[in-house]
Formats: sequence, C-alpha cells, structure tokens
Amino acid sequence: MEAYIIAIAIVTAIYVLLALGLNLQYGLTGLINFGHVGFFCVGAYVAALLSKHQVSPLVAFPVAALLAGLAAWPLGVVSLRLREDYFAIVSLGFSEVVRLVATSERWLTNGVQGISGIPKLMDGLVPRAAEPAAVLALLVAVNLGAILMMRRIANSPFGRVIEAIRDNEEAVKSLGKDPAGFKMKVLMLGAALAGIAGAFYAHYISFISPEQFVPLVTFQIWMAIIMGGVGRVSGALVGTLILMFFLEGSRFLRDIVPFIPDVEMASIRLGVVGLAIVLFTLYRPQGLMGDFTRR
Amino acid sequence: MTGFLELLVAGLTSGLVVGLAALAVTLVFGVARFGNATTGDAMSLGAYVAFAGANATGSLIAGSAIGVATGALVGAASYLLVFRRLVGRSAVTALLASIGIGLFIRAGIGLAFGHQQKTFQLPLVRPWRIFDIRLHPNDLNLAVVAILALAVTFFVLHGTPVGRRMRAVADDLSLARVSGLAPARVMIALWLLAGAVTSVAGIMLGIKAVITPEMGWEMLLPAFAAVILGGIGHPVGAVVAGILLGTVQEMSTPFVGFTYKIAISFLVLLLALLLRPQGLFGRVEGAR
Amino acid sequence: MTINRRQFIATMASTALLAGNRVSLAQGSGIFRIGAPNCITGAGAAYGTGMQKMLQAGVEAVNAAGGAAGLKFEVATEDTQTQPQAAVLAVKKLIEVNKVQALLGIWSSGESLATLPLANDADLLFMNTSGAPALSVPPANAKGLSYRFQATNDRFGRAFAEIAEKEGFKRPATMAFNNASGIGNTEGFRKAWEKKGGKVVEAVVYEPNQSSYRSELQKVLAAKPDVIVTGSYIADTTIILREWYQTGDTQKWIIPGWAANSDLIKAIGPEVAEGIVSVESVSNEGSDAFKAYDAAYQKAMNAPGLGNAYAAMAWDMVIVLALAIEAAGKADTAAINAKIREIANPPGKAVATFAEGKAALKAGKINYEGASSALDFDECGDVTPDFSMSAIEKGKLVRKYVVKI
Repeated sequence: MEAYIIAIAIVTAIYVLLALGLNLQYGLTGLINFGHVGFFCVGAYVAALLSKHQVSPLVAFPVAALLAGLAAWPLGVVSLRLREDYFAIVSLGFSEVVRLVATSERWLTNGVQGISGIPKLMDGLVPRAAEPAAVLALLVAVNLGAILMMRRIANSPFGRVIEAIRDNEEAVKSLGKDPAGFKMKVLMLGAALAGIAGAFYAHYISFISPEQFVPLVTFQIWMAIIMGGVGRVSGALVGTLILMFFLEGSRFLRDIVPFIPDVEMASIRLGVVGLAIVLFTLYRPQGLMGDFTRR
Repeated sequence: MTGFLELLVAGLTSGLVVGLAALAVTLVFGVARFGNATTGDAMSLGAYVAFAGANATGSLIAGSAIGVATGALVGAASYLLVFRRLVGRSAVTALLASIGIGLFIRAGIGLAFGHQQKTFQLPLVRPWRIFDIRLHPNDLNLAVVAILALAVTFFVLHGTPVGRRMRAVADDLSLARVSGLAPARVMIALWLLAGAVTSVAGIMLGIKAVITPEMGWEMLLPAFAAVILGGIGHPVGAVVAGILLGTVQEMSTPFVGFTYKIAISFLVLLLALLLRPQGLFGRVEGAR
Repeated sequence: MTINRRQFIATMASTALLAGNRVSLAQGSGIFRIGAPNCITGAGAAYGTGMQKMLQAGVEAVNAAGGAAGLKFEVATEDTQTQPQAAVLAVKKLIEVNKVQALLGIWSSGESLATLPLANDADLLFMNTSGAPALSVPPANAKGLSYRFQATNDRFGRAFAEIAEKEGFKRPATMAFNNASGIGNTEGFRKAWEKKGGKVVEAVVYEPNQSSYRSELQKVLAAKPDVIVTGSYIADTTIILREWYQTGDTQKWIIPGWAANSDLIKAIGPEVAEGIVSVESVSNEGSDAFKAYDAAYQKAMNAPGLGNAYAAMAWDMVIVLALAIEAAGKADTAAINAKIREIANPPGKAVATFAEGKAALKAGKINYEGASSALDFDECGDVTPDFSMSAIEKGKLVRKYVVKI
C-alpha cells in the first residue's frame, strides 16, 4: 500500500514542479503560457538521452534545466511583444512544434518508437526497495528549493518589478525599465523548472514518447493552478493535489459505483473534470487558496 | 506543375473547413472578446446530432438542419449559463471555462453516441478532371457552403438591426450600453448565430472526414491561428486566413515533409504577427 | 459559496484513505491473483473490455475445473486508458495494493514498454499483446518474464510481403500512421520485400488526426504503385480510401485487419471497399480452444469471438498461466516461467482447454493449442501465428487463404 502511495506522491510532486513553474510565469508576470508541456518534453528527452550515454544525473539534470530554459528564449524573443492571448496561441504552437520535432527527428529521439529502458534515478546509490522513497525525498527537496527560490524572487527588487509589470506595464515602462527583459527571465526560469520535472518524469516512467507530451498536459496544470489559486505557492500545491485526486481518484470510484461500465466511466470522468473547471471559474475563481494577483 | 496545382486544391479544401471553424470563433472573439474553446467540441456535437438526425429522417438536409438548430441552442445556453457571468473577468478565465464546457460536451457525446467512428453516408462520385486536376463536387459543395455561411453572417451583421448592435457592442461595450442597447439580447442573438455556424463547420468537417468525439478539438488550434491571422472579429478575415493557412500548409509538403507541414501554420502565423500584429484585416487597436 | 478550506482538504484526505483501505486485499492462501491492466478507454477501447471479460471468463473456467496446483484464481482489474503514464500507476496499484502475482492483458506497446520494468522489479510474469520489437530483447525483456501473444509488427510486415508476392504485385508503396505500430508494420514489410529482391517505390508517413490526406496520397500515387500497403487505423483509412477512390486510380490495397474490417466497409461502402485485402493474424479458428473461447465470448459480450482477436489472446493467457502453474505445482514465478514453454510448445499431447490439459498433465507432456494461435513461444517469448488473407467482395470479408511465415 505504501509503495502505491509513494508512486502517486512522486507523480504529484512532478506535477507540482510543473505547476510552480507555470505559477511563476502566470501568477507573477501574467504570461499566459499554453506551451508548458514543451519545456517538460525538452527536459525529459535531454535527461533520457544523456542517461543512455551514461552521463550522471548530477550533470544531466542541470543540463536538462538549462536546455529547457534556453528553449524558452526563442519563444520569448518573438512573442513577448504580442498581446496576451496571441502569446497564448503562439506558445501552444511552440509546444506542438517541440512535439513534432521529437516525432520527426528519429536520429535524435528515436521518433515515435520513443526511448525505453531509461534507468532508475537512484540505481546503485540506494538499495532497490528504497529507491522510490529516495526519489520522492529528492523530489520534495527540489520542490522546496524551488519554492524557496520563488519566495526570494518575489521579495527581491527583481520580483517587485515583475509584479509591477503584471499590474501596470505602462507605468513600469515609464520608469525606464524594460518589461520584456524581465518577462523573458521569468519565462526561462519557469521553463527550467518544467525541464527538471521532465527529467524526473523520464527516469520514473522509464519510457518516453512524443505522444506523452501533448497540450492536454499543459491544460491539466492550468486547471491545477486555477483550482488551487493563482499567484501563491500554496495554490499550486493544493491545486495539484485536487488534480491528482480527480485523475487517480476515479480508479477507486469503481468500487463505490460498480454498476457503471468502465467505458462510460471514462466519459463520466471527463465530464466531471469539465464541470469542475466550469464551477470553479464561476463560483471560486480565486481558487481554493485565493488569488493573490488581485490585491 | 500538376502536382502543385493538386496540392493547391487540397490546401484550399482543407483550408475551407478551418475557415468555417474560424468564422465561428471570430464572431465570439470579436463581440464577447475571448477565445471560445468550446467551439471544437460544439462542432463535434453538431456533426453527431446531424448524423443522428439524418439517420432518423433519412435526409442529410433535415439532419443538418437539426444539427444547426442544436448548435445554435447550445451556443446560447453556454452564454446564458456560463459566459454571461464571466463578463469583466480576464480572457483566460473565460477561455478555461470554455474548455471545461467543451470537455463536458465531449463526455456527453461519448455517453450518447459511443466512441466508434461514424460517417455520413453520401453517394460517392468520381471527380471532374479539369486540365488534369481533379476537382471533386463535394469540395465545391464545401466552398458553396462556406460562402453561404459567410454571406449569411455578413447579412446579419450589416443588414439587420441586431447585427448593427452586435457591431456596436464589439466596438465599445460601455458606449453601447450607455446608448441604451440591451446587450443581453444582442449577445443571445450573437451566440445563436455563432452556434449555428459552429454546427455548419462541424457538419462539413464530418462530411469531408469522419465523425469522432475528438474531431472538433483537433480543429481548434488551426482555427485559432486563422482567427488571429485574419484579424480578430473579422469574418471575412477568418475565412480567408483559414484558406491561406491550409493552402500554405499543403503546398509546403514537398519542402518540409508531412510531419512538419503542421508546424507551417504556426510559422506563418508568427511571421504575420511580427509584421502585422493586427492581422490581415484587423484595424490597429488603440490602447484599451 | 464559502468553502471552509480546512474541512474540504480534510474530507478529501479521509476519502482517499478510505478508498485505499477498501481496496487492499489480504493475501489469502490458496489463491492466485491475476492483475489485469487493460485499456478499457483510450485508443484501445474497442478491444480492452473484451479482453478483460475474457480474462475473467478464463479464470472462471479454471476455477470450475478445480483451480491449478490447488490454487483458486482471482482477477483484479484496472483501466490503463491506453496511456503509458496511467498504465504505470494502474500496474503500481495492482502490484502494491492488490498484491497480484502476474500481469495479463497489456495491450499497446507504449504501455508495455513502460510497465514491463515494473513487472521485472516485482518478479512477475507479464503477458501482453503489443507489437514493438523492443519488447523481445533486453533491456526490456532482460528477465525473460514477458510473453507476447500477438505477432510483432515485424512479422505482420513479413506477412504483408508474402501476400503481396503471392498476389503478383511488383511495385508496392507504403503509407504508415505515424506511430510505433504503423511504422513497425511498413518497415517490416519493406525489410521483407527487399529481402525478396524487390523495391518499395514510395513510402509515406502521415500524421494522425487530420481531416484530409490528399497530399500524402498524391505523393504515393505519383510513384505509380500497383499496390499500397498500410500500417493504419480505421479513421484515417476511411478518409484515405475515400479520397483515393475519388482520384479514380486503380491499385490494390493491403491493410491490417484492425483497420479493414466490417466497420470500414460500413463507412466507405462496398463499391470503394471492393477488392481490398485485409490481413489479420489468424485466430486458431478451427481449434477446439477457439470453440471454448468463442462460447465464453458470446456469453459475455453478445458478439462473435472472431471480432476481437485480442480477447482470444487474453483467454489463452489465463489458460497458459494456469497450465504452467499446474505443471510447476506451486505459485513461484521462476518455477511457472520454466514450465510455460513446456506446456505450450510441442512435443506433447495436444489439449484445448484447461480441464483437458490438467488431466493430461498427469499422464505426460502436453501442448496447449490456443484460441489465438498455436502458441509456440520462441526464446524471446514471441509467437509466430499464421496470417489470413481476406478480400472484400461485394461488401463482405471473404477469407481466401492463410500464410505461414
């Protein structure tokens, strides 16, 4: 039983990392990034490929974060000047292009066959039985580190400029600061977090393929931060827990309502998620923990 | 040369379907000011209802009429139940709510119709050959329907009082309200129109391809790209942009291959936005 | 509506705990528990339910004959949504919460590649119906616990090549759905065709979920092939065939059976479908095992057993596992694994059901001839079924002959 809970906890922690990155981008800067899964994908593939070449995770993970962050740079350059809903569509296009590249460039990514046999993260460092718990501990540590970093950013001069940009970009410009540069840094930072999440994911699932990095994942993270409450770290956490509850909880639903055939259950699950989103936006738009972008 | 012309025709026809979907999106985008992601699943719904209607009545036209009516009602319902209460909130909120409604509709489709594919039973005809290029009557129908939809939209927007009010609301909501227009009634009319066009787009897509629960959702991204390229709120722009994107996409295949051709739409969109942010037909917007 | 935050979180947490406790089962003695992570929803939904029902029916048949090695069988089921990530969590639950002792019925290659490592770690037998070649060899199958009841994509391609040669085609072209299965099929065809000294005149890979495949089709037709071999699914096949018919071109088509079936004929109409060759790994339809399976399938699903080749494989999985346990005498994975080839491969007395096999084991070696194929596992745990060539004539699929590869 504990091993199953650890498994769910690991997936949750990976999603929390993704949510933290997205929260940084949207909550702090108001950037509507619909392409988050693209950075997740970059991080996962970098970690997978490096591990296949026997590169140690101590090197591979930072590289994954770096490359994911750098991947955000072209997106930022071309689109930070666009208005927010244009940026949303372009970022969505960006993540689809990343997926297409992963699909097409067989020499690099093995195309649709994907990369299998990615070794476990802590193989050799800890006894086999304790490996998942060790990975979970590491993930929690990384998440805490990310949260601490975000706290420091929020309270720093840099962070204050970011929030000012979100609240009133014109005023910031009139003070002589260049919003685009700040937005770019935040975009890249959030992307780097997604890259690290991707690296953990690759090692955990041990098999990655382009079809696992579809826009649906981005929208699931969006649902998480909306339901949890934007702009606050606890919001990302709670929102992700709610998301995992919906995604995994329906497994146990069958024990509670056994008379519904499984095929219908999938539609019902989808309908419940859709209804939840609508109800949250209508009645609790600030999410469970409150929206801290509107003061 | 024939090859290129064939690709051109292929692009035109696939672009027309995108254009129709974009028309539905741009109507809402222009007046209600948010990207309505429900359009995708509403398209699927329109196709399924038309299919069921055609089976029940034995006539495709009758089935389509039922589908279009259903689409209009679904559009109006989504406004009355959800979107009306989200006025004044950020565009992202409405967009996310629309995704939620879309998922809900998709769940309903799965429960009501199952997950197997369905096809409209149309008589198959051999195409005409003009200058060695194959032109199919079905594609011509598609073009006619698209032009009709555009014409009806145009007529409503420019030739009727309610359409004039829609354009006023699109231009400036507070001014419209102050001038005594009843936005609620105008909006219901708008959503009825947009919902009807959505169903038409879904039915045409179903005729061209196959009817599956995911069919509309897959069309959303190209549709949004076309809306932005054409200029938000511009019906003609949306259809033209859809055709343009479809054509460029297909004609690029000899150069980039069949996988990357999908990325071409984004490239075109990106270039257009960098060079002309208001889109092909849009006006430059002042600061709001 | 104000939700008290603390109450809400507390309620959710206790629900989760309650749900978890409900499901964990005590490890009873005298019971062998099978885990069934099947694709009830998602891309494999058409087959998953049938497979799960047949796993349950197989277990019933085994228990009715008194169980294996004194153990009664039980099945714990989960839905993998045909997604690797969901499959990992489903399998984790089965292993950790339900404490299953074998995993049966994993369908797609993605799911198998993601979950076989879990089976290896937990030392469980892993019986699947996936096509990816990577599952046959290390690192995936490093422990030899994986048994594949479906022909690999490679073998499908070889069957295509045999049939194309037999039908006298000289200039084949291929069209592949851009995923591992589609490409696996066409690559397998190409390799086998080139080994025969032939050449593939054009190979196109197309992206899924498009409303039209005209430009892809155009490229293929420009090379003037006399037959087009596909690795495709029913939705895209429908669109492609419709558009092909409207070009007026006259070549033949060789399409995998899961795409060229009665649903396809219904979708495109008999005129367009006329002459299409459908290739399916043939269920051992003449066999007694198939009769037993078919009876169970009709009872559970109200449809002919022929319609779901994977369900026949699922049925066989249970029987093979049960016979191996009976032969081994205990529920130890290594012991069972050692017996699987013994009871499924020749030589031995041919048996068609668990009851028959259990009785015959007392007398000597047996050879279970399955419902899905003769089930002779090679050293990689793969089977080489026969393949059927059927042509669509006047709106019906007509079996013409069977190829052995």
